[in-house]
Amino acid sequence: MNMRSPLLEIPGTGTAATAQFPILAQRIHGLPLAYLDNAATTHMPLAVLGAISRFETHDRANIHRGVHTLSQRATDAFECARDQVKRFVGATDAHELVFTSGTTDALNMVAQGLSQALAGRAVIGPGDEIIVSGLEHHANLVPWQQAARRAGATLRVLLPDAKGRLQQDALARLLSPRTRVLALTACANASGERPPYEALLALAQEAGALTVLDAAQTVGHSAMDLRTLACDFMAFSAHKMYGPMGMGALVGRRSALERLTPLRFGGDMVQSVSYTDAVFAELPARLEGGTPHVSGAVGMAAAAHYIQSIGHGAIETHLAALRHRAVHGLSRMDGLTVLSPDARASAIVSFVVEGAHPHDIGTLLDARGIAVRTGHHCAQPLLDHLGLGPTTRASFAVYNTHVEVDRLLAGVNHAIGVLR
Amino acid sequence: MSADLELYQDIVLEHKRAPRNFGVLATLTHRAQGTNPQCGDQISLALQIEQDRIVDVRFKGQGCAICMASTSMMTEAIKGVEVQAAQQLQHHFRAVLTGAQAPEEAYLGKLICLAGVARYPSRIKCALLGWHALGHALQTPVANSTTHEQVTS
Repeated sequence: MNMRSPLLEIPGTGTAATAQFPILAQRIHGLPLAYLDNAATTHMPLAVLGAISRFETHDRANIHRGVHTLSQRATDAFECARDQVKRFVGATDAHELVFTSGTTDALNMVAQGLSQALAGRAVIGPGDEIIVSGLEHHANLVPWQQAARRAGATLRVLLPDAKGRLQQDALARLLSPRTRVLALTACANASGERPPYEALLALAQEAGALTVLDAAQTVGHSAMDLRTLACDFMAFSAHKMYGPMGMGALVGRRSALERLTPLRFGGDMVQSVSYTDAVFAELPARLEGGTPHVSGAVGMAAAAHYIQSIGHGAIETHLAALRHRAVHGLSRMDGLTVLSPDARASAIVSFVVEGAHPHDIGTLLDARGIAVRTGHHCAQPLLDHLGLGPTTRASFAVYNTHVEVDRLLAGVNHAIGVLR
Repeated sequence: MSADLELYQDIVLEHKRAPRNFGVLATLTHRAQGTNPQCGDQISLALQIEQDRIVDVRFKGQGCAICMASTSMMTEAIKGVEVQAAQQLQHHFRAVLTGAQAPEEAYLGKLICLAGVARYPSRIKCALLGWHALGHALQTPVANSTTHEQVTS
């Protein structure tokens, strides 16, 4: 196996980035950690850790309600973070951003908020239709199953073809005047497939549906630009873009966000309250009841800044090279099938091996210091549809190197030798 | 010790490649299914019990090497023994894997080769899947064996 490291590295990526991530400088079972589980969570660079620490040690206070100095600083930090993350995804004056606990929280806010009536009727009603793609993570499927049940609506699934790809004409056939929502992933976490989401969202919006994009798997490397996307709601997590866990965002068109029924009632989301009634605040506060995760927002903004400082283009190029090297090496192994081998702008390589179960491969890789994820990746219906069982998934980030990909290839090769 | 040596011993891999008592049972009195929802591993187990003795056993399903080897070795160990002895073995095997009992005190026979799984917390459920199915099968005569048991630990 070729263990040479390429001579050219893209500035800011690979070994140049590794030093910025303290957690990576450790050994697992005596070998250097090769962390290839980035689709599950990415790690935080010093710049993000520092921003969180600075907030917690200098500026921490509850926001909005205080007139004292720390409260003002914390409020400024929170709103500044909102602006930074909005700019990061190309939000305009017509957009707003609501901080959430993550992608799952954001998608639940949309699915429940559209299907639950507060005063009058919910956006999704009896006889309406909701379309989800067959590539979705359970977080962008189960909330819509529940929404359909709650509203008396029908859930339709845009099934991928035999190669796991979504087709525009298949969506065109599913769309109807009763379609209220299309919920779609920008990159399938289980297979690494990157659907033509720009065109699919546009098609659905043209048909009068609200469009929901799960950008969790792309926001860490692809430039998501709301100015050009036919997207009403976009959800993503901080911890998959080098930020903290327990933090995320729902960003979308103001006019669409205003149609969401608030689900969390309490402090900060109200304008005025009597003993018997309340008037809700304007966006984004009306969807942010309770004390928010302010240091999480600060960390998320710092993570956005970190990505921008390296540049989306550089990160995309680096990840594409790593994925290409991994797909090329894995595809040559006997009895091994890579899912979505030709996917572009994807950082995920998912594969199955005849006679070698993912759990065993994962344990044998861990023994060599290599962290991958194994199983259904919260996408059981997709793997069933493709006629596959659980998979082994390696996923890359800015700090991964070609040497680590080669270690993965050698490790998989070794595991197959042990297990067959 | 590395996973290669500790978990994937020759005897484990040999049972994985050629599981014993694999297939269906023509005459069965008890059966159950074990499922690990996280990875889709699934074991269905059929027993033929006569006068409180397991006279025959078969299993089918799919799973990782640890799961298949553990279930295969389990079927060897319980075939021909009294139900109570099989239950005791199940109790001891589970106790060893969850760290509640020292392997050398549990009289596990060749199943002791799986004792190392106790040091891999994420894999304990793999080794126990077939044993959970055994526990449920012993409680489930075929007349009402249609329930699917989910194993979560």
